[in-house]
Amino acid sequence: MLNAALLKQTVRENAVLWTVLTGVQCLMVFSVAMNAPIAAAGVAYYNLLPGIFAGIYAITVGNRLICAKVDRGTLAYVLATPVRRRAVTTTQAAFFGGSLLAMCALGAAAHCAGAALSSFGLTGADVRTVLELNLGLFLLGWAFAGICFAASCVFNLTKHTIATGGGLVCAFLLLPIMAMFGQNYAFMRHLTIVSLYDVPAIMAHSAGWFWGLVALGMIGAAAGAAGSWAFTRRDLPL
Amino acid sequence: MGMSTQHPESDSAQGPRADSPTRLHTPVTPAPAAPPRAGGPRPAGAVIAVEHLTKDYGHGRGVFDASFEVGRGEVFGFVGPNGAGKTTAIRHLMGFSAPQSGRTSILGFDCWAQPSQIHSSVGYLPGEIALPEGLTGSQFIRFMQGLGGRADGARLAQLLDLFQLEPRGTTKRMSLGDKRKLAVVTAFMGDPEVLVLDEPSSGLDPIMQERFIEFLRQEKGRGKTILLSSHMFSEVQAVCDRVAVIKDGRIVSTVRVDDIRHSETKTYRIKFAALPDFGAFLTGGGIQVVFADQAEMTVEARVRDGDVKALIQSLAALRVADFQECKVTLEDHFFHLYARQPQEGRPWNTPSR
Repeated sequence: MLNAALLKQTVRENAVLWTVLTGVQCLMVFSVAMNAPIAAAGVAYYNLLPGIFAGIYAITVGNRLICAKVDRGTLAYVLATPVRRRAVTTTQAAFFGGSLLAMCALGAAAHCAGAALSSFGLTGADVRTVLELNLGLFLLGWAFAGICFAASCVFNLTKHTIATGGGLVCAFLLLPIMAMFGQNYAFMRHLTIVSLYDVPAIMAHSAGWFWGLVALGMIGAAAGAAGSWAFTRRDLPL
Repeated sequence: MGMSTQHPESDSAQGPRADSPTRLHTPVTPAPAAPPRAGGPRPAGAVIAVEHLTKDYGHGRGVFDASFEVGRGEVFGFVGPNGAGKTTAIRHLMGFSAPQSGRTSILGFDCWAQPSQIHSSVGYLPGEIALPEGLTGSQFIRFMQGLGGRADGARLAQLLDLFQLEPRGTTKRMSLGDKRKLAVVTAFMGDPEVLVLDEPSSGLDPIMQERFIEFLRQEKGRGKTILLSSHMFSEVQAVCDRVAVIKDGRIVSTVRVDDIRHSETKTYRIKFAALPDFGAFLTGGGIQVVFADQAEMTVEARVRDGDVKALIQSLAALRVADFQECKVTLEDHFFHLYARQPQEGRPWNTPSR
């Protein structure tokens, strides 16, 4: 179902953005780990910044993977070959998920490396916490990616994809920040899927966080599958 | 929502033709509207078939009950102005859009239901050249080879040599002509059995256009089945066996190019030496006059081959300054169908005859 030539081209198209975002993220988490123990760094760092990075990546790459190619017309060359539409969406989705996973894996490695080199040291429990935090981060990014990918599959114009998929992701990222402005706004915390990535619960090894991550995984998979389904059945203005 | 709501052929060219006279004249006998013609017998074993295709985008846009077939080894031209529905029809043939009603098929496969079976045998050249960014020409060629699963190095080298294309530079920095050449090369490099070409030579310089026409003739000689959508009448007339004219989404005529070249009805332009002779001819009757200009003392008479003798006899007693046959071209046929009023300027890229 995957097409090697298309995958190679997609990697080439997105390599710069992925490298920059991953590099910045790794440098930041490495720096944080050098200056604070994992227990403190976890809450301070994972609560905000990585979600924003994942959001930026999901919005930008999600649009590029399908909609931008329809908008510009370059997808005509791909779909004029024996490559099926389903193979296009599967290949693009595989890249999306794989690149997010690699981004989070490198972030986890950088966090562990920073902690190991710091005066605080790195224990087995720390490694488990970092992995769980990054698993959650990956699944949050996966859910964002699924939403943006679905928008990219459904719309013909970049502006519509960015407005819909990007708008939703931005709203999800902003709502927890709004919730911090007082008790009257606290309900907003429950209107965003970001709440399913429960960093304090992961840090505390308390129950419940796992099912939030399962829900994020299902949101991403369902949105991506729905987008792919729509893409294989709709007219393309190529 | 992006569910098939757009129609990219947004400009409806309603421009005039340049070579028609602009002076006032006396239209004596208007030319009869040409009825849609079958264009001779349909090819046996159609490779490309469009059957009652309808796609309505609203506001009169789209294609409506369009039907035509392209036989094996045939080159079929598809002409019409922007917005007439050419690209919409091609989009259905490539499986990019689903018909509202009707059916399109290539090599017997339904274009919407079985596109991947078709695409292994079809070379496609889009009308709009939008190459992926960040690639050199060579990388784009390898990319397309990877997608199509076909890589014939010798043929690729021949095509690059024929079109004098050096694909080392990035596609972003290429001229429009080089981008077009690159798209042409990738469409033909797999040596496909069927070719769907949407305005293939647009953007090529005149030398390359001529080379491309010659190349199409060679491919036709090799038995390729080609659907050629074009604005260039010279190109269509040079290579096509049959031509369909599409107007407002409907195919209004399908003709054999040979029938146009060797029409049984011919038009003659006669310039008289004096006004009384001009008047006498017009009042003489018996000959269909399609154009008359009193100031120039000139008429255009349309006669069947068997009636030329009658024309000459009617002129025998008159003083004639000049007599010549007006060659009928595909362009004439097209503009006749579109019933243009004579004004200045040409609507499309139509070289002067």
